[in-house]
Amino acid sequence: MIKAVIIDDERNSRDIISLMLEKYCPDVQVAATASDCADGIATIQEHQPQLVFLDLEMPDGTGFDVLLGTREVAPFEAVFVTAFEKKFLHTIRFSEVEIILKPIDRESLMNAVAKITDRIRANASTTRYRVLLENFNNGRNINMDMVIPVTQHEDKIIGLHTVSYLEASAEKCIIHLSDQQQIIAERSFRYYTDLFSTLRFYQINNHQMVQLSQINGIEGDGGRVVLKNGERLEVADRRRKELISHWKQYK
Amino acid sequence: MIRIYLLFLLLCCCFIVTKADIPAKDTLVADFDDLPAAIDLRPYILSLVDKGGLLTPQQVASASFTHSYHLFHAEKRHIGKGNNCWMKLHVSNTGQQDSTLTLFAGWHDDMSWYIQDSASHQLRLLMHTGLMRDRSNVQRWEHYGFKVNVPPGSKRTYFLHINNKYYNENGLMPTLFNDLQYGQFRNAQLEYYRKETILIHVLLGMLLVCLAIAVINYIQLPDKSYMYFAAYMLGLILFFTLRLESQPYQLSVFFRWPMMKYYWDIPALLFCFYLMYLAFGNTFLNLQERYPFMEKLFTSVAAIIGGIIIICFYCIALEQYQVPVMIYSYVYISTLLPFLVVFIALARRSRHHPLVRFFLFGSLCFYMASFGSFLMLIRPLGLINALGEISAPSLLIVAGVLLQSMFFLAGLSYRNKLVHHERTRTQELLIKQLNKNKELQRKLNEQLEELVKEQTTEILRKKQELEEQRKAHLETEFDKKLTEIELKAIRAQINPHFIFNCLNSIQLFVMQRDFEYAQKYLSDFSFLIRKTLDFSRRNFISLSDEIAYLNTYLGLEKMRFEHKMEYEIYVDPVIATSELEVPAMLLQPYVENAVKYGMTNSNYPIGKLLIQFNQIAPDMLECLIEDNGIGIIRSRTLRTLPKHHQSSGMEISFNRAELLNKMYNTGIHIDIIDKSENNNSESGTIVRILIPQL
Repeated sequence: MIKAVIIDDERNSRDIISLMLEKYCPDVQVAATASDCADGIATIQEHQPQLVFLDLEMPDGTGFDVLLGTREVAPFEAVFVTAFEKKFLHTIRFSEVEIILKPIDRESLMNAVAKITDRIRANASTTRYRVLLENFNNGRNINMDMVIPVTQHEDKIIGLHTVSYLEASAEKCIIHLSDQQQIIAERSFRYYTDLFSTLRFYQINNHQMVQLSQINGIEGDGGRVVLKNGERLEVADRRRKELISHWKQYK
Repeated sequence: MIRIYLLFLLLCCCFIVTKADIPAKDTLVADFDDLPAAIDLRPYILSLVDKGGLLTPQQVASASFTHSYHLFHAEKRHIGKGNNCWMKLHVSNTGQQDSTLTLFAGWHDDMSWYIQDSASHQLRLLMHTGLMRDRSNVQRWEHYGFKVNVPPGSKRTYFLHINNKYYNENGLMPTLFNDLQYGQFRNAQLEYYRKETILIHVLLGMLLVCLAIAVINYIQLPDKSYMYFAAYMLGLILFFTLRLESQPYQLSVFFRWPMMKYYWDIPALLFCFYLMYLAFGNTFLNLQERYPFMEKLFTSVAAIIGGIIIICFYCIALEQYQVPVMIYSYVYISTLLPFLVVFIALARRSRHHPLVRFFLFGSLCFYMASFGSFLMLIRPLGLINALGEISAPSLLIVAGVLLQSMFFLAGLSYRNKLVHHERTRTQELLIKQLNKNKELQRKLNEQLEELVKEQTTEILRKKQELEEQRKAHLETEFDKKLTEIELKAIRAQINPHFIFNCLNSIQLFVMQRDFEYAQKYLSDFSFLIRKTLDFSRRNFISLSDEIAYLNTYLGLEKMRFEHKMEYEIYVDPVIATSELEVPAMLLQPYVENAVKYGMTNSNYPIGKLLIQFNQIAPDMLECLIEDNGIGIIRSRTLRTLPKHHQSSGMEISFNRAELLNKMYNTGIHIDIIDKSENNNSESGTIVRILIPQL
């Protein structure tokens, strides 16, 4: 049995989470609920749950505030529940924490609970929450850290600024770092391109995406980019112009 | 031998002279074998003057003749109306031989030589000759020696009829020569006249040269003065050529037309020295421009002279030869002084003009020559005769004519030069003008080019300006579009949270099997979504629509929060809600905020929301959104979110007001007031929106 706490400012929300847990995740037992941050922190401290369902936005704070306020208590896993994740997209996604979007569907809830259950059973580290909070404090900038899920291994944590370029590789994504290191992530190339499209990255062709800060120069009228680590990458014809303008803007 | 012969001749002459006043005898008695050198026949000739010219030879035979010495003269003499006389000579030969003697009486117009038949006393014509009769050339001069043939010891009577109609009569001095002596006499005459002829020939040559020059020049430069000069020359040439006609033993061109020498005598003088001279002077000096009065004078005098010439021709045709002479002498005398005056006037008028100088020098040369000649002739010939011979080719006159021609020709050449000069100057001027024109054209072209350049630049500039304007316009347009799109985006983005939370609530009701509630919730929610979609496409909606929307929204919120909140919407009854228009979805974010923060106040378990619409001025709608939350100031301090995560709801609202104002030029004004600012005991936020009515 996994002891869980639900923190949400809407009663309807709390009710539905507990209802669905009861129905689809019999392993999870809801120990208590709370309707705001302060209440949530107190409830966690009181019940020492293994799992917390956290609403992101509440009248007196966010789910992050709850995490911040419970750093002293025994580490627990968290599932964020929100109607709209855009505001904290990178914060959440970079740290690879579980998130469920309202209205809650069965599959995502069950997936999240299954993952969490696995982690609890494996007694996995909870560094991702540290990364999450750091990212939350640092904001959407280049100093953010990323948790990269790697098959059969512990997750890797890297700084965003060290990413040189991403490369597609079947269902996985190879992350090339500026120090020539390569990480094969358990996520698709498409997942990362979507995530990075609003950051200072540029997809130079169908299977490669370069961080603009890692470009040393552009050769042959935009035909090739030279990276700071000396690597040269081909640029698709139709993307040259845009790349040059992006790069100029960045410089 | 020759010396002896000459001595003999001299003795003969002395004899003739001494015999001059020998008393008249009726009959010449001579030994034909041994005649003296030349026998002056004057004392032996009886004469009869036939004034009417009506006497026939028959009448003459029986008429009475007298000695009249006045008829005879050695030199040319002016005889006025003419001379028609008969002469009778009785010759008896005392010699033994039958020889022929020759009688020479001078050169006359019409001469008839008769012999009287001793038996019948009838006159028999032996010879009829004369300058006006004989049409043969040099041979005719041989006809003037009449043969006197008297058999030895016999006596014969000869009659000579001389008829001169011209005013001048050549010497009339009947002399009898034997063959040898006649030959000598003829040679002497030939020699005597040859000098004069040579002079005339030389003169003619020179005049011809002048004429040729004039004609050539005229061909090169058609100037009227050349024509007049040529006419003048031609007149003179003709005149002098005709003079040859009366020189014995000389080749003459005009011997076939003896009358010509009469016709072209006085008229020639008038023609050359007056008519042509005046016409020439007129055009040569260009008097029409330089001296109009003189031009008139010249022209009128020339016209008068022309008339006189015609009168002269008429008189000659009537054989009244002396009339033209008289006319000419009057003309000459009367024009002597006026010419001098004219010369002085011309000289004074344009002293330094070279053309005038040429003209004056030429004119003066001839004037002086003719005058001098005239003066020289007066003594031997008398005034009238002198006038008649004024144009005789004396050396002086010839020199005068030549000098005049030279001067005139030189003047013409000079004039030619002047004309040429003038032409060159004109050409130069033309060339200069042309060059100037070219220069002007070049300058104009340059100016034009510059102008075109300037205008092109101007046009380009304008174009650029226009382009910029267009760009600016496009930019503003684009801005507007962007603003609108942004606004729509903002409107569309308003409440994903709300939407999904609503859906979440519906999900809950469904799961709880509270279907009635779920249906109500669902229908309200779909109404709201429909309205949202609808409004996001429109910029303005009616106030009643806005109120209905807010009502629905607040109802849903109330359902979500289960009576943790209450709301009230108050509309001023004077407002016509369905007519009044407000920007779509302007209030919704503030209402949403009010709902959110209205429930944060721990002092009030139930959040209270009041929305009021008031007409505070005829054209101003006031909209108040009031809650009893903790107030905007405290809620801000409470927020622990890092700056980059700040809620954008309010910012969006402020932006929206700005955007709306920018887009529709409205003066929407938004105030956010914390109630605690005015009164510490109160808490909450008031959003005051002023919407001016258009």
